[in-house]
Amino acid sequence: MNLIFEISNKGARCATIRKPDVKSAKINKKYARAEKPELPEVSEVDFARHYTALSRRAFGVDTGFYPLGSCTMKYNPKINEEVAALEGFTQIHPLQPEDSVQGALEVIETLGGYLAEITGMEGVTLQPNAGAHGEYTGLLLIKAYHAARGDTKRTKVIVPDSAHGTNPASAVMAGFEIINVPSDEEKGVDLEALKGVVGEDTAALMLTNPTTLGLFEKNIKEISKIIHNAGGLLYYDGANLNAVMGIVRPGDMGFDVVHLNLHKTFSTPHGGGGPGSGPVGCKKELVQFLPNPAVVKTDKGYKFDCGKKSIGKVASYYGNFGVYVRALAYITALGAEGIKSAAEHAVLNANYLKVNIEDLYPTEKGRHCMHEFVVSMQDLKDKTGVSAMDIAKTMIDRGYHPPTMYFPLIIHEALMFEPTETENKRTLDEVIAALREIYEEAFKDPEYMKAAPHHAQIGRPDEVKAARQPIVRYKKPE
Amino acid sequence: MSDYLSTTERETKEMLEKIGVSTIDELFEDIPADLKVKKLKLPNGKSQQETMEIMSALSKKNKVYDVILRGAGSYDHYIPSMVKNLASRSEFITAYTPYQAEMSQGILQAIFEYQSMICNLTGMEVSNASVYNGANAAAEAMLMCAEKNRKTLITFDNIRPDTLKVLKTYASPRGITVLVLPAKDGVCDLSALKAGLNDNTACVYIEQPNYFGLIEDAQKIGEVAHEAKAKFVMGCNPISLAVLKSPAECGADIAVGDAQPLGLPMSFGGPYVGFMACTSKEMRKIPGRIVGETSDHDGNRAYVLTLQAREQHIRREKAYSNICSNQAYCALIASMYMSAMGADGMAEVAEACVSYAHYLAESLESVGLKIKYSGEFFHEFVTVSEVPADKILKALDKAGILGGLKLSKNEILWCATEKLSKAKIDEAVEAIRRVK
Repeated sequence: MNLIFEISNKGARCATIRKPDVKSAKINKKYARAEKPELPEVSEVDFARHYTALSRRAFGVDTGFYPLGSCTMKYNPKINEEVAALEGFTQIHPLQPEDSVQGALEVIETLGGYLAEITGMEGVTLQPNAGAHGEYTGLLLIKAYHAARGDTKRTKVIVPDSAHGTNPASAVMAGFEIINVPSDEEKGVDLEALKGVVGEDTAALMLTNPTTLGLFEKNIKEISKIIHNAGGLLYYDGANLNAVMGIVRPGDMGFDVVHLNLHKTFSTPHGGGGPGSGPVGCKKELVQFLPNPAVVKTDKGYKFDCGKKSIGKVASYYGNFGVYVRALAYITALGAEGIKSAAEHAVLNANYLKVNIEDLYPTEKGRHCMHEFVVSMQDLKDKTGVSAMDIAKTMIDRGYHPPTMYFPLIIHEALMFEPTETENKRTLDEVIAALREIYEEAFKDPEYMKAAPHHAQIGRPDEVKAARQPIVRYKKPE
Repeated sequence: MSDYLSTTERETKEMLEKIGVSTIDELFEDIPADLKVKKLKLPNGKSQQETMEIMSALSKKNKVYDVILRGAGSYDHYIPSMVKNLASRSEFITAYTPYQAEMSQGILQAIFEYQSMICNLTGMEVSNASVYNGANAAAEAMLMCAEKNRKTLITFDNIRPDTLKVLKTYASPRGITVLVLPAKDGVCDLSALKAGLNDNTACVYIEQPNYFGLIEDAQKIGEVAHEAKAKFVMGCNPISLAVLKSPAECGADIAVGDAQPLGLPMSFGGPYVGFMACTSKEMRKIPGRIVGETSDHDGNRAYVLTLQAREQHIRREKAYSNICSNQAYCALIASMYMSAMGADGMAEVAEACVSYAHYLAESLESVGLKIKYSGEFFHEFVTVSEVPADKILKALDKAGILGGLKLSKNEILWCATEKLSKAKIDEAVEAIRRVK
């Protein structure tokens, strides 16, 4: 399909504005640009058709099954879009007087309170704009906590080898060194290895629980003890909270700092790569370091409050406010019971999918998974040459979004399935049948699968060429 | 209660049977029983109708002003209908990051088009797919520029306060110093800059127009920065770029800014979108997603996420940045805005802003306010008045007008956009005239 630049028609106009009814003022030539920027010129119908065509070449949760592990692609309720578009939320300036934005401040304070209750934390900031941004913020809190105690030797953050790549990257941005710890046979943190690396220089351990393998870290109490006895803090990567919300709280597990992903767990849409929102919660001793400004409830209504010991600001204004409105609508609709049943059904769906395919798609044996599970296709690859990637691409031909591929790094030929709670049994049964057929196909016609997809928008793209000879913008042909 | 589940009780039972357990609770047996929470202290769930009523009531506790004369980083522009309408297609809204190129060409092409438009607007050669907001874009640019022996960012006290705060937050853990020099008559002071630059300077960061709305002699500042072998980073208002010299023309190494003015509502500060563009020399250092053009095995044009070797999911602790989710949907809206307006439409918006701002400034002068700085301004400016700022703003508030932002007891930062009209400005000025 054409780029919008390629359908540009010189002189065509789409949106138009009212002509100013005051004397025209112009910028001094000294500051004016030499040529106008090269932007598309299209009529309204061309505009509408172009973006409709692009949307038809996008695949969302509304399009079909989206078991992208670790991303929690649950259904995004329509009411949330409608409330976020209310004029009283969109048409307010971030620097309006406090008394004119009491509703917005109430949204922030209420949502923060709900998230504190769900995570078992004492204070929450909503300011970070994404999960990785939340990690960074949480680590700055940890840094400030140790520094305030004069404990400046704590320069190291421990990260399991199954962690998301953002964990070590965020810790480095926050000025820490990384210590990697291996997983044990049950794919949890290897306790002996952990004991070997903790010490006076340990600032924190970053942990995802359930882990990135979709398994609950059974030794969590022991891990908490090891870290806290060494004087470190325990950081909760909330990517997988959807499995356990309403059932167990990070705070009760011993975590001191947690970040959440509203765009995963709390149903706000992902928009093709954001905006997300990565609220951070923490225990009492760390609340004083949370980013400024906080919103507090007083006798005279809601107010901004700036703490003296705060780590400062991590984003403009108060973060991705429009995302909070959606998340608050979601939690309001679900309530205490609904939050719990969402987690229960996320786990039910994952286990149902797992038991129906695990004879062909091998995964961790003898345990129930949480909201997701990771299969290894190494055996199939050895036998047929068909890889995890080939299975993923074959799923595309069948109209499903593939699971997460090749993550976590400790599993060979990994595929990570997260069906989420909003899928029904009929869809899961269809997917199960398709996956079983795909497995058989790998033996019958491996070459065909290695060339999949055959019925998609494009065949497999040449990624090496894209990186070696980067073309990252449209240029008008000479 | 609404729970968005779609499994019936009967199906749940069948599923449990297949799994080989009798209750859902059994699936959670790995969780130590003493850690489990009894019941969350949250309100009970609500029907869809009640949820709508609750949220709607909250929205009504916010005051929506008829006339807005405040900017300071968040701008009230006209948003074209076709942008709102086409952006509301749920395939855009409910998609994840386009990891699977074969079924995500629409999202990938949209990002590629956005990158191209940002490049053309800024004159730079490479743009990423977006970062969180303008302040974070400046911070990421600072991290790109910092080197082992060059660890100071120099800026002036005329940049947006939020940007400065975020720069400081990001600087300290990496051992970077943020040196804030005093502006002279509201603009960057070249002699102070020359004196401040040395072998440790990583970059000079300025905003165009600056926080006070003044137009900087950016080209000159860039030359001075480059003489000291420091990088030059410009934070720009994208509407102004329709008419002002592009960052490339000013010699910038990196151009950043917030694209909120391009079709995004003010929304109490977010979600907005930070844009980042750089010279091809800096391409492999720029953080975040980048979409590139390639071909599939049949030679068809195809788009993919590329240059991923820079990113956290590959490089982990060696990555330049931790960014993963960005503001892709907001970037889509910004690119739709640029397509809907075109270069001529954007220039018209910019000129309307400038014209109304100058009319507003003259009108305010006619009621006794003084323009604080002598330099040329774009669509914002600062006034000084004998009448306290609070009194002026209160009078405007009563008339349903959000006045400028109070900077100090007697100073106000005003902003005008194409949404104003002569009548609206006259009404505001009339309200001020009556304040004594």
